[in-house]
Amino acid sequence: MTEPRKSVLVVDDEPDVREYLSALLEDNGFDVATAEDGTNALDKVRARLPDLITLDITMPEKSGVRFYRDIREDEQLKHIPVIMVTGISTDFERFISSRKQVPPPEGYMSKPIDQQKILKMIEELIS
Amino acid sequence: MAKEENREPPYDQLFQAMPCYISIQNRDLRIIEANDKFKRDFGTLNGRHCFEVYKGRTEKCEVCPVEQSFADGLSHRSEERVRTRDGREVSVIVYSSPVKDQEGRVTSVMEVSTDVTEIKALEEKLRMSEQRYRLLFDRVPCYITVQDPELNVIEANQRFIEDFGRPETRKCYEVYKHRREECLHCPVQETLRDGGVHHSEEVVASLDGDRINTLVYTAPILDTEGNIDSVMEMSTNITPIRELQSQLESVGLLISSISHGIKGLLNGLDGGMYLVNTGLKKNNPERLSKGWEMVQRNVDRIRSQVMNILYYAKERVPQWERLNGGEIGAEVFKVLEAKAKELGVMLRYDAAEDAGAFDGDPQAIRAMLINLLENSLDACRVDSRKTVHRVTFEVTGTEDEIRFMVADNGIGMDRETRDKAASLFFTSKGAKGTGLGLFIANKITTAHGGRITVDSELDRGACFLVSIPRRRTIETLEKIGNKGGRND
Repeated sequence: MTEPRKSVLVVDDEPDVREYLSALLEDNGFDVATAEDGTNALDKVRARLPDLITLDITMPEKSGVRFYRDIREDEQLKHIPVIMVTGISTDFERFISSRKQVPPPEGYMSKPIDQQKILKMIEELIS
Repeated sequence: MAKEENREPPYDQLFQAMPCYISIQNRDLRIIEANDKFKRDFGTLNGRHCFEVYKGRTEKCEVCPVEQSFADGLSHRSEERVRTRDGREVSVIVYSSPVKDQEGRVTSVMEVSTDVTEIKALEEKLRMSEQRYRLLFDRVPCYITVQDPELNVIEANQRFIEDFGRPETRKCYEVYKHRREECLHCPVQETLRDGGVHHSEEVVASLDGDRINTLVYTAPILDTEGNIDSVMEMSTNITPIRELQSQLESVGLLISSISHGIKGLLNGLDGGMYLVNTGLKKNNPERLSKGWEMVQRNVDRIRSQVMNILYYAKERVPQWERLNGGEIGAEVFKVLEAKAKELGVMLRYDAAEDAGAFDGDPQAIRAMLINLLENSLDACRVDSRKTVHRVTFEVTGTEDEIRFMVADNGIGMDRETRDKAASLFFTSKGAKGTGLGLFIANKITTAHGGRITVDSELDRGACFLVSIPRRRTIETLEKIGNKGGRND
């Protein structure tokens, strides 16, 4: 019996990033869903629990930081590992310094994305 | 009697020993008696006139205290400059006092002249010194004021008066900051409180309304008993330093912003290359085409970002021309028509018949319009909530202005984003933009004496309206500091 494919939710407002990560992860055996902002991502996570989330920080409507806080405060969702993917390190630093009540994300990946590094990180977190 | 003589020296002896010039003069102003000091410095008397002896004159002086004492029987005082027999100029204070007989008639006048040459020299030195300090006070290249304990400006130097007007005992906060209430933090108050030197940095406004950054130092002025009488405030204009600092901060922000922009572009290129490579390997033409489109688009973005960085970094001399609004709009539309098609955005262009002509730098106007249109196309590209995206580009005009409107139904902006839209390096696109595009569009519009208004709502789209005067005004020329020229 083959093991079911692990699922990843890619959250980023930039279509190029969604396209790129979807192709990369699908090619490496993952089921991929995408969302363009925090609100849409929360709907998708609640509809189907992913095994891992890659999360952009700066997005319109609901930012990655707010989405992250929401899932960390939700008993059903708080266990899902999150990899922050962002090009703005200051955003991440601000996020880290403001995370008084929430634990830090499981992984951090700066843009441009290193293909091998992100695949290894995902493997380690969900295999 | 002999005893008394021993106790008190004879009057004649006292008269001779007095350390001043004493003479007795008759009604003809002839000196009939004088003490030793007088004789030593002015020679023998021989019944000479006082004006001959003192001043070498042949006629009496215009104002003569001795003559006055003869006339009214009272004492008089005057200040004179006399010359000794060896030619030395001596300043004297002269007291004349009448000598009366038993019937009270003035028979002669005693004149006592005290040598005050040294005091006069000291006074002159003091005057020169005061003048020098006054000059220093006025000419020193900073603002100096003296405030009393009620914060009234009671003294101000010339530099202060030139930029802030005569204080006329107004409060310092009124003159410097045009406020009605005392400032929250006041170094003058601190000095009044503890007698120490205090400093702070303040932003003040001159008579002309110019903002001036100042570095302020305050020091106490003490009275003879050591109490604080008033406070001296010295303010140095550090506006050029602050401007330079702000420019350096901008350069720092530019570098950081460019780095973030490049990261986003590299990511897009990486993604495009990955799709091209795997599309070829998997023989998947759809993936190949998507990847290639991604590579092309990111190369385009690199091009436009480099242009913006160059535009920001280089001081351009505007090349003024009479431009046709409709024609320049059509040129820009043609440049972006293909890009809109690739992105699946319906780009519509419309120029009103009366759009007409205006004064502008064609290269700058094109850059401004391309930035606005690319911004709108990008706002549609990243919006996945709608299936149909539109960008409308219109050129219209009034009698005085040419108007360019760029409207889209992309992701839109909330209030905060809208307010910050034109500020330097602000981007709502995270790592995907440098934040230079709208800043440069705004900079170009302002340099043309125009303005950009933004109307937008999150998720509904945005509308940018650029209004530029048809004719260059004096204000525009002053703002640009240029009367036209060539670009190099």
